Amino acid sequence: MRFLRRRRKRRVCVVGLDGVPFGLLRRLGDESVMPRVAGMVASGDLKQMRAALPPVSSVSWSSFMTGANPGEHGIFGFTDVAPESYQLRFPTFDDLATPTLWDRLGESGRRCAIINQPATYPARAVPGVLVSGFVALQLAKSVWPKEHLGALEGMGYRIDVDSQKGREDPDGLLDDLEATLETRRRAAEYFWGRESWDYFQVVVTGTDRLHHFLWEAVVREDDPRHERAMAYYRAVDGFIGEMWDRFHEGSPGDGEGEGFVLLSDHGFAGVRKDVRLNAWLRENGYLDYEKEGPGSVAEITADTRAFALDPGRIHLNVRGRFGRGCVAPEEARGLRDELAAGLRELRFEGEGVITHIFPREEIFRGQKAELGPDLVLLSRPGFDLKGTTKHPAVFADTHFQGMHTWDDAFVWSGLPVADEPEIADLAGGIVGWLAG
Amino acid sequence: MAKGFTLWFTGLSGSGKSALAERVRDILLERGMKVEVLDGDIVRQNLSKGLGFSKEDRDTNIRRIGFVCNLLTRNEVVAIAAAISPYKAIRDENRELIGRFVEVYCKCDLDTLKARDPKGLYEKALRGEIKNFTGVSDPYEAPENAEVVVDTASEEVDAAVEKIIGKLEEMRYVPAGDGRGYTEEEEEGIKARLRDLGYI
Ligand SMILES: Nc1ncnc2c1ncn2[C@@H]1O[C@H](COP(=O)(O)OP(=O)(O)OP(=O)(O)O)[C@@H](O)[C@H]1O
Ligand SMILES: [Mg+2]
Repeated sequence: MRFLRRRRKRRVCVVGLDGVPFGLLRRLGDESVMPRVAGMVASGDLKQMRAALPPVSSVSWSSFMTGANPGEHGIFGFTDVAPESYQLRFPTFDDLATPTLWDRLGESGRRCAIINQPATYPARAVPGVLVSGFVALQLAKSVWPKEHLGALEGMGYRIDVDSQKGREDPDGLLDDLEATLETRRRAAEYFWGRESWDYFQVVVTGTDRLHHFLWEAVVREDDPRHERAMAYYRAVDGFIGEMWDRFHEGSPGDGEGEGFVLLSDHGFAGVRKDVRLNAWLRENGYLDYEKEGPGSVAEITADTRAFALDPGRIHLNVRGRFGRGCVAPEEARGLRDELAAGLRELRFEGEGVITHIFPREEIFRGQKAELGPDLVLLSRPGFDLKGTTKHPAVFADTHFQGMHTWDDAFVWSGLPVADEPEIADLAGGIVGWLAG
Repeated sequence: MAKGFTLWFTGLSGSGKSALAERVRDILLERGMKVEVLDGDIVRQNLSKGLGFSKEDRDTNIRRIGFVCNLLTRNEVVAIAAAISPYKAIRDENRELIGRFVEVYCKCDLDTLKARDPKGLYEKALRGEIKNFTGVSDPYEAPENAEVVVDTASEEVDAAVEKIIGKLEEMRYVPAGDGRGYTEEEEEGIKARLRDLGYI
């Protein structure tokens, strides 16, 4: 009888860095702010990656965790409008229409431990454990199974930083970022040993918060908070290194990095101006409000033909699709082309603002695709597209320093990855490899 | 989704099988499923009337319950069995027969059981007044691969029920419960967070 040498059990460990662009990660690796990342880049394959569209965390992470297109999983943003009342609604984890990769792993008996996954609130049963991330509110509804709630409370686990500080107290925000990362680290340590898992995932969302409020501190050496921003990145690097070391414990040498994945869900860039699409639609006669100072798109007039939601989503007010729809379905295509042509000409001080205009059918496919926006716009870095209804001017200053970008997320993967990957591509590879 | 399955509780007398079975039944009924409970005590008054507590009679009893569970399961009913079912081989026979079979092991230490003793059986058994009393004078073979293990000595009834329902949801045997969306108050919290980050 021959004995086959037992192969080491396949495991995957994913570390997510919310909102970290490809270029920044590589640069911080080179500059040895992030020596552990530098080591991974030297020995492995760091790739630029496209986020989902539109490039916000709820959409992009939903695409990551399901491997599906937004037209399939049904999450198109942090907000949606109710088709009758046009009131803003806030999609939850329950709105996710396709199974997650950990559901699929569970079907073949594999277990997962997932910490701070955005867009999974309220937490529900998973094969293993789940701690929901943004926009999670109460910790009690963010933990499944509940038996871990006490332990997380005991370690002072924090779902998120207090983003209000971003505006009023940047040093306080930096303190918060460090403290929150530390509790993330403790939670990872806690679940690592306690759960028997095949798939482990932890997401750092502080990077995104830092970039929203203090992007300048990250990219400009003369910014007064540059050193603190770098210290935060050093701590993030230390955390990545810790996860890497744990993952390789007891099996050094062969197959270094196999099964380890580091990724971001979208990129980031500095902001110069907010671009309020609803103000543009109003100026150009496509939209109006029942009264001045509207609180939301719920207050558009019955003859409004198009409205915008964050970040660059344009919906046509089509009859049959929306309760007060006034655009005949057969006129939608023409209206869309007209809007696209107009938006292409939008300029600020001579500079073009819009770089991409995606019609729905080009980017969304699946049963929910019809619920998605008619157009998704992307802008030149520096121009942050907004769906606010509150202000009449198209261009405005903002207290935010950073904005999301689309095609410069990154992935470092110890698993085979397509050449020009997009975030939805990864799940299939992970499930396939673990099942292999 | 609304396909049948068998939820099989096993564990010593007083470990909480009947109590948990009833709670789980109520939740599944609320979610629009058809449910029958086959409780050991009741089965022994009719379907298995006359059977005693020898190994042979116990096996027969458990096989009968399994037989009925199978009929129910294949007719899209959720069958919940709550009987001590001390022998692993017979439980596994039922698992094999039924297929969609979820085993819940109600674990509980003897000291706790003696303290609970809702039917006064442990007291009698320990005085030697009951022969073949499982866990005292008769064997109990704990499951090794139960889908759910609840330690009723340390876990509250609510937590145990949540664990069982959670497992069934995870296996997609039952649809997720309603009311998981946001309350109005929570919606305000979410708006505040999105506003802080400039998303609305
Ligand atoms: N966590 C718990 N889970 C279930 N029951 C509990 C728990 N804690 C306390 N109890 C109590 O323990 C008792 C368990 O009795 P129950 O009749 O359910 O046991 P049983 O396993 O069905 O026993 P038997 O095999 O004799 O029918 C009940 O009175 C119940 O209220
Ligand atoms: Mg009972």
